[in-house]
Amino acid sequence: MITDLDTYRRDLILALRVRDVPGDRIGEIVAEVESHVADTGEDPHEAFGPAREYAATTTGLARSRWGWTDLAVAVAAGAAGWLLAGGLLGLVSGTSLGPLRPWAAVALGLAVAAPTVVHLRRTTSAVRDPRTGRDMAPFPRWAPWLLGGLLALPVAVAAVVLVAFS
Amino acid sequence: MQIDESWPSDWLRAVLPLSVLAVVAEEETYGYAVAQRLREAGLGAVKGGTLYPVLNRLEEDGLMRSSWREGAGGPGRKFFTVTAAGRAELAGRTTAWHLFTGRATALLPSLEDSR
Repeated sequence: MITDLDTYRRDLILALRVRDVPGDRIGEIVAEVESHVADTGEDPHEAFGPAREYAATTTGLARSRWGWTDLAVAVAAGAAGWLLAGGLLGLVSGTSLGPLRPWAAVALGLAVAAPTVVHLRRTTSAVRDPRTGRDMAPFPRWAPWLLGGLLALPVAVAAVVLVAFS
Repeated sequence: MQIDESWPSDWLRAVLPLSVLAVVAEEETYGYAVAQRLREAGLGAVKGGTLYPVLNRLEEDGLMRSSWREGAGGPGRKFFTVTAAGRAELAGRTTAWHLFTGRATALLPSLEDSR
């Protein structure tokens, strides 16, 4: 029963997220489902129908399509990553990234990354539980470490290779 | 008659917003209690997936307002009350509903004929 509700809740949050529903509204909808199911003892799937269908009927929204903003964010993230990785590698190995000096590449990478991260943080509001004010879908504690590690790994491997062969 | 409790779904869809508004106008209440009240009134079992969008729609239209409150030992519940605009809407719609259903009923064959 508990696992049923957990799965339903996760599916519902995801289905509302891909419809670009604001975090506070998602929290409200999920809390209604939880509260109703706690009162009736019903299966959420039975009472509210499939999570994806309920997300569609209750908001009247379709899945959001990729737009130009998303494309710009993806390109900016890719460019920032490439500049930062290339610049940092350049700083370690002493070679430059095409016409750019390593420090210039790092600076440019940071200049592109900062507004991109700010934009992403602003557009993805937290799913706030209206009953407790707590975040319903918190970012796992290990996630920043994993992301940081994934970014640092190629740099570290390249640095080791460069040091070993020089 | 055994047609009770299994009304055509488009009938329910038409009457639900007004019925829900009427139930909430009786007293401040929450989702599950509204569903129970509708069932007791003989409208059948209204599922959560149907009821909550109606409640939220009425709130969006400014006919109700809601607040979350901690239940006794249980999880919080969202309580709804009718606004002044909601009472006015209920009064107007109730008059219109009686007129409308009266005219529709007058159009139908009498119960003796339909047996």
